[in-house]
Amino acid sequence: MKNSIRQAAAALLGAAATFAAASNAAAWTLKEAAAPYSGTTISAIFLDRPGYKAAETLIPQFEKETGIKVKWEVLPYENTRERQVLNFVSGGDEDVALVDVVWLGEFASNKWIVPIKTFTDNPKLTDPNLNLKGFFPILLNAFGTWNNTVYGLPFDNYSGLMFYNQCKLKEAGFNGPPKTWDELLNVYAPKLTNASKNQYAFALQSRRGETQSADSFMRMLWPFGGSLVDAKFRSNLLSPQSQAGLEFRQKLMKYMPPGIVDYDHAESVNALAQGHVAMITEWSAFYPTLTDPSKSKLGNCLGVATEPSGPAGLKPALGGFSLAVNAKAPKKKQEAAWLFIQWITSEAMARPYLEAGGVPARMAVYQDPAVQKKFAFVKPMVTSWQGGVPDFRPRFPEWPAISEIIGEWGTKIMLGQVSVHDGSVEIGKRMETILQKAGYYDGKKPLLK
Amino acid sequence: MSSPAVSAPPPRRLRLMPRSPAFWFLAPAVFALAVIGIYPLLVALYNSFHHYNLADPESGTPFIGFDNYVATLTDPSFWGALGRTLAFLALTLPIELGLGLFAALLLHRQALPRLRAVARVSLVIPMATTYAVVGLIGRLVFNRQFGIANYLLGFLGVPPLDWLGNPTLAFVSVMIMDVWQWTPFCALILLAGLAMVPREVEEAARLETPRWTMIFWHQQRPYLLPGITAILILRSADMLKMFDAVFTMTRGGPGTATEFISIYIQRIGFRIFDQGMASAQAVLLLVLTIVLSRLYIRYVYREA
Repeated sequence: MKNSIRQAAAALLGAAATFAAASNAAAWTLKEAAAPYSGTTISAIFLDRPGYKAAETLIPQFEKETGIKVKWEVLPYENTRERQVLNFVSGGDEDVALVDVVWLGEFASNKWIVPIKTFTDNPKLTDPNLNLKGFFPILLNAFGTWNNTVYGLPFDNYSGLMFYNQCKLKEAGFNGPPKTWDELLNVYAPKLTNASKNQYAFALQSRRGETQSADSFMRMLWPFGGSLVDAKFRSNLLSPQSQAGLEFRQKLMKYMPPGIVDYDHAESVNALAQGHVAMITEWSAFYPTLTDPSKSKLGNCLGVATEPSGPAGLKPALGGFSLAVNAKAPKKKQEAAWLFIQWITSEAMARPYLEAGGVPARMAVYQDPAVQKKFAFVKPMVTSWQGGVPDFRPRFPEWPAISEIIGEWGTKIMLGQVSVHDGSVEIGKRMETILQKAGYYDGKKPLLK
Repeated sequence: MSSPAVSAPPPRRLRLMPRSPAFWFLAPAVFALAVIGIYPLLVALYNSFHHYNLADPESGTPFIGFDNYVATLTDPSFWGALGRTLAFLALTLPIELGLGLFAALLLHRQALPRLRAVARVSLVIPMATTYAVVGLIGRLVFNRQFGIANYLLGFLGVPPLDWLGNPTLAFVSVMIMDVWQWTPFCALILLAGLAMVPREVEEAARLETPRWTMIFWHQQRPYLLPGITAILILRSADMLKMFDAVFTMTRGGPGTATEFISIYIQRIGFRIFDQGMASAQAVLLLVLTIVLSRLYIRYVYREA
């Protein structure tokens, strides 16, 4: 009897809690939450990429519903960190911080961005359907979480994918893309390269800068079991696995267009779009460019797959941006900025964002078979996000300085100005000097990446 | 009746506002110079003696003496970038001067006045182009696939060159764009120098000798030397701080082929945010610019 009373009480309590949550969810509206901020203008920095153009088309809807005006400035990626750091240290007027995966450690450890708990603790500001668990764990972890604290919500999300020209592959006798890097080099590349006709099998964007360090250098370490640093933050570039990956890149170069060290994303995507190369590994965000008939000749020939696997398995490139609130902004603008970030990354907006050309980080939207059918990149991208490496590039504040070193020496390795071994020694030596100075080796700084 | 007393001069009052018109004419320029030139210089000098990293606010800005200067002078990357910049200067400036002089001598001739007028105006166009745009034009001109450089070479049977992917050719591409942009500047300055030569003296010389080299060397050259000195000083300073065009065209690559000193300082100052080190490098660059200017004035202008 006692037990059944207890069970009944528990059921009643559960029902009450569910009802309370449901009624809270029903009660909370963006319009009401935003009422105190109506007329406020918030500023953000955007990039000239499809995800931001998608947001730009949706923002009027937010402005209409909330009365909050969103102002944005479009900057080239290379200038974005510089502008934001100067903004943070000089108390500038950006309210929404755009946080690249590799800037998170720097922004968070310098307290330039606000932990989202500041806002989620306030029920008036928090959408009961926020559902942080609805984000792909790897994306929320890599793009938004530093030292177990969530700072930003994933907004512009990429995975490295293989885009290929199905027609060219078929002509060469292949029914599908290569499954492994080894297969790409030894089976596909020789048949798809004809330098006299300006035809090459593969293009790996390797221009000096973040393109060289992230898209080219790091991309070749992980699939071969290598990495930049070991668990103690010492250079791991001389490990047999890392060396194998970098040597592989050298071998692959003879199947890439000449001048590949000057290829940025645009050149690489364009080479595939115009039919000069048969395969590229690029960010998922370039799918809209490759399907746009005004920019690409591929049409139905475009194929999308996961990046090839290496001896260590599928370890695709991972990149993307979260949106966070600038800690230097006035409180009212911070709260208005949070409402915007919460809205644009919400589950409710995931589908419209996807339709407008963005790539949301919400799992639910990709479960829809209609979405999977309409967007060919979805399936390989979801597979990649399920098996990726969160610290594909270390996210510690020292990365930008290390990226500069890799940009310089990684290019020199590709050009043959220095051997893979000697270049790795040089990068490792300079990187360890930076990490030593930062205090990782004498315990002054925790080994977070 | 007492004699009229000689009135004593009024006591000198400290005047806060000088009456001299010269002061008021000069004041705005001096003020502007102080705000945009001297103040930042003093700040850079101060920073160069301190640890100051914008991305590491927790470390503060302690005084570290000459550490930044020592680190700079013992950094092989700094010397590499400086060496490349000086090589660029030594190779590009004579070409610009030579071509500029050639253009100026052509435009100084009396024939075809209309064509000369059009040419003079069109000379201004490259100079008026923004540096970053020059870099972007360079990327298009030297693109391997569809650039006009390879298209033109194709007529001569030359296979496509990898202009921006090959270290030597990338350096040459940046040189070509700089020559394109700044040769007109040299031409206009030298043309102004040639216009200073009295016409009757020039005509008398032509009666004396048919050799244009004699006329050029003995008559026109002295009038050109002040202009040449100005070109040397301005272009040297410009090349030492050349950034935008190179950054948009090659980003300093491939490898370090076009990493000039300003690109290097920008990386230190705004990628790594080490303002102390970047300031020390900028101060050293300033010293180099001043030394070069003094040398030009001493050895070129003195001959005028």
